[in-house]
Amino acid sequence: MNFESTQSPVQSFDSLAPSCLMAATILLVEDEPVTRTSMAARLTRLGHRVLEAGNGREALEVAKRERPDLIIVDWMMPEMDGPTFCETVRRDPTMKSIHILLMTSHDQPAQIAEGLARGADDFLSKAASKQEISARVLAGLRTGRLVRELETTSSQLESSMLLLQIKQMEMEADLQSAAAFVHSLLPPPGSPAPGLSLAWEYQPALTLGGDLFGVASIDADHLGLYILDASGHGVAAAIRSASLMTFLRVENILHLVGTYDPEKVLLEANRRFPLSEEGEYFTLWVGQLHLPTRSLSYASAGHHGALISRTGRPSRWLTRPSSPLGFDQAAVFANDRIALQPTDRLFLLSDGIYEAASPTGEPWGRWRFQQAVEAQQHSPLITTISHCFMEARRWQGQSNFSDDAAVVGLELSV
Amino acid sequence: MEITQRASKDATVLDVKGDLTYSNRAALKTAVDQVKSRNCQHLIVNLEQVRFVDSSGLGLLVLMSQSFKLQHAQFSLLKPQSYVREIMSLANIQKMIPIYETEGDALTARAA
Repeated sequence: MNFESTQSPVQSFDSLAPSCLMAATILLVEDEPVTRTSMAARLTRLGHRVLEAGNGREALEVAKRERPDLIIVDWMMPEMDGPTFCETVRRDPTMKSIHILLMTSHDQPAQIAEGLARGADDFLSKAASKQEISARVLAGLRTGRLVRELETTSSQLESSMLLLQIKQMEMEADLQSAAAFVHSLLPPPGSPAPGLSLAWEYQPALTLGGDLFGVASIDADHLGLYILDASGHGVAAAIRSASLMTFLRVENILHLVGTYDPEKVLLEANRRFPLSEEGEYFTLWVGQLHLPTRSLSYASAGHHGALISRTGRPSRWLTRPSSPLGFDQAAVFANDRIALQPTDRLFLLSDGIYEAASPTGEPWGRWRFQQAVEAQQHSPLITTISHCFMEARRWQGQSNFSDDAAVVGLELSV
Repeated sequence: MEITQRASKDATVLDVKGDLTYSNRAALKTAVDQVKSRNCQHLIVNLEQVRFVDSSGLGLLVLMSQSFKLQHAQFSLLKPQSYVREIMSLANIQKMIPIYETEGDALTARAA
């Protein structure tokens, strides 16, 4: 089918105009009755609803009441002229975006500039042809409509932004509260048992951390300790970690396993915490210190952050290759033992600290952690730990860690 | 991370370049899932250009190897760099996923 019009350009313009754009309400402001009547008739023929006013003041009242889509206003009028009318409309927030055509008898550049500066959107010469008037009215209506759409979209965006901000604040408050709860589960620094002192520093990558640790008395002679690391980070990792932390509570382990023997604890944990559907899992190091003999038995499920630092003797990492929890259901975890001496320090650390990457991507590494600890062998425990954090931050060139960073220190007193 | 897929005899090879970490592991998962959905019988993930694998990246490799095992297909790793090799060795990864030094070795092992 051929839609090509066979009408003359003038006919087609007039007849197509109303169907191209929905009929609009136009306020025509002109003090001269003949010009006003003639223009009003023309606009009515274009299919629009035309409101008329004989001067600026009257026009303002109509405009406020009727909110026209377009205003055509004469420059020269008694009481309030066209440019002053434009200025007044622009100052009113309810009308400021109405499209205004300013009518003049002359189209001198200086006059056009003044009209535009004072708030008119376009000009219409009183001598303009019928086609030009139609075209300018249509263009004005189109622009006005676009401006209104933009204003609506912008206001919707602002409301959405506000809503998002409120939601985000609520969520952050929830996270802070959850973080405070998790923090309350961490062992208090000080003396967890006679002859021992405990200090730690912990910086989660986000508000909530997925790397947690515990130090607690099992009975009068034994102290249990662990550090766990959830793969991934964020809220999901933190929730999974809290559930493993609950599992590792002394009374729960004694109830389920009957002993805090590290290899047996890991065996049970491996059974209960399989690899998640997203491939998330834990690494876990568990130790049991026999206080009368200072004998430490320990076992690890893929966690390699345990170091003994000792005065006058080489440091030693308390770890060996082992499967993280959930990797291998048939995995077994063997205990190792070490006899600790007075002044020995045991450090448990998360990979977030030794994997802190330099700007070129090189991890800080366990070796540099060991050097940092050894360099501060005679400083108070908390100072040594702070020094490690400072060195790791210096290495990565920034204060925040991309993964949870934790260092726990346990010192045997003389 | 850049991942390029190519065919090598009966296997599909994914050449991975960059770090494999929590923030970009979805890209590797998508690439592996696509290969798996075409009933690939042997996928070789080439780690030669991977400098760092974090705990999330490691978990993803184990998860993918388990899902290939369920399909009776093979999942192999190729040429991990020293740091990545150390991380894998500490986590006993070689007990679950075969790790090869050359592509030829990986292809031969599957054929054998």
